[in-house]
Amino acid sequence: MRNLIAFFLRHHVLFLFILLETIALGMLLQSHYYQSSRFANSAINWSGQLLDGLNNSKEYFSLKEVNSFLAEENALLKSRELKRDKSEEIRYDNYQYIAAKVIKNSYNKRNNYLTLNKGTLHGIESGMGVCTKEGVVGIVRDVSKHYATVMSVLNKSTVISTRLNKSNHFGELHWDGKSKDYAQLKSIEKYVSISVGDSLVTNSYSSIFPEGISIGTINRFEREPAANFYSIEVDLSVDYTNVDFVYVIKDAQKLERKKLESQKGD
Amino acid sequence: MTKTLQHTVRFFTLIALQVLFLNNVQISGYLNPYVYVLFIMLLPPKLSKAGVLVLAFIMGFTIDVFSDSYGIHTAASVLLAYVRPSILSLVSVKGGEDLDAISVKQLKLGRFFTYTGLLCFIHHFTLFFLEAFRLNEFTDTFFRAVVSTIASLLFILILESLRSNSKRR
Repeated sequence: MRNLIAFFLRHHVLFLFILLETIALGMLLQSHYYQSSRFANSAINWSGQLLDGLNNSKEYFSLKEVNSFLAEENALLKSRELKRDKSEEIRYDNYQYIAAKVIKNSYNKRNNYLTLNKGTLHGIESGMGVCTKEGVVGIVRDVSKHYATVMSVLNKSTVISTRLNKSNHFGELHWDGKSKDYAQLKSIEKYVSISVGDSLVTNSYSSIFPEGISIGTINRFEREPAANFYSIEVDLSVDYTNVDFVYVIKDAQKLERKKLESQKGD
Repeated sequence: MTKTLQHTVRFFTLIALQVLFLNNVQISGYLNPYVYVLFIMLLPPKLSKAGVLVLAFIMGFTIDVFSDSYGIHTAASVLLAYVRPSILSLVSVKGGEDLDAISVKQLKLGRFFTYTGLLCFIHHFTLFFLEAFRLNEFTDTFFRAVVSTIASLLFILILESLRSNSKRR
């Protein structure tokens, strides 16, 4: 016994090192499980408050820009409403948009996140889609009472279900971590005819985004000889260097749909 | 100023510099300087190894909380603290035991540069590797670590020269 204690004492630095690394890697691994990251929840609460304070002081310097942005947005919404009256199309009805402000944003890391100033109190839940008027921004990841973090499209874990506006073929949007302006589109089969400049929008296969929100345009594509699919580079429509206000999309009928879809399996 | 106070002040200054300034400077996807590691590098050489490990853990954890990074800064910082004594014995005769403090003045510029450079690279590479967590992006990760190490070193040397200047006055 005494030898054992002596052994531990002699190598206490190594054991401490292993212990601390295990805790750190534990946090990292826990974060991979989508909704279970307790560490993350308390972390955004602390850092959110600080960021909010900072942002409040910064806000005064950009009032002019914000004003013009909101005016533009208003105009856009008005025109959309007019159009809807004419065609009597009820397309967006089961989706509710919650406006939020970005209080932190990054786009130069391998995995990028945004922090929003709204949380569970305002109806935000993990897994909801986030967009601006330009297009898709990401998916809500962790939510606390007043804050939410968003996994941006510029993140290795984000996959967005996409379709070609022209031909309705669908694919998956991934990001390879190289440039903040371009993402990669996978699983578009080679027989589909595509061309540079084709636009991509979200599809309604997942209930995260409503149908038809812009994602980007095809910038470059290649037919790789060994694969069945194109490798496509997509020019993203959102400029991540300048994301200020976003909309979190709440699907009012998500539960109903999930329930129906899960019944199929029985 | 007592030594402990000096290190405490450095702890908070570097966190503020990292979280409020450097995390928001986004030059390119490959360039992410992390200067907070300077705190761990400059801890007194006579401090016990266990103490350095615990302080590095606290530092990394704090940075993690403010950068949505879920443990990667903690892991990289603890590793940095663990290899610190070996790198220290590379640049000084008695493994740093003869030094009062780690600084440009005590180590001379060349050895200080080797010490911070090696540790910085080990830390940054671990960090970016854990962040990507993919072997097929190895060359990308490596390149990212090299570029960011150079940027961090630049900041560290600027900070160090500021420190030695203010002392002389």
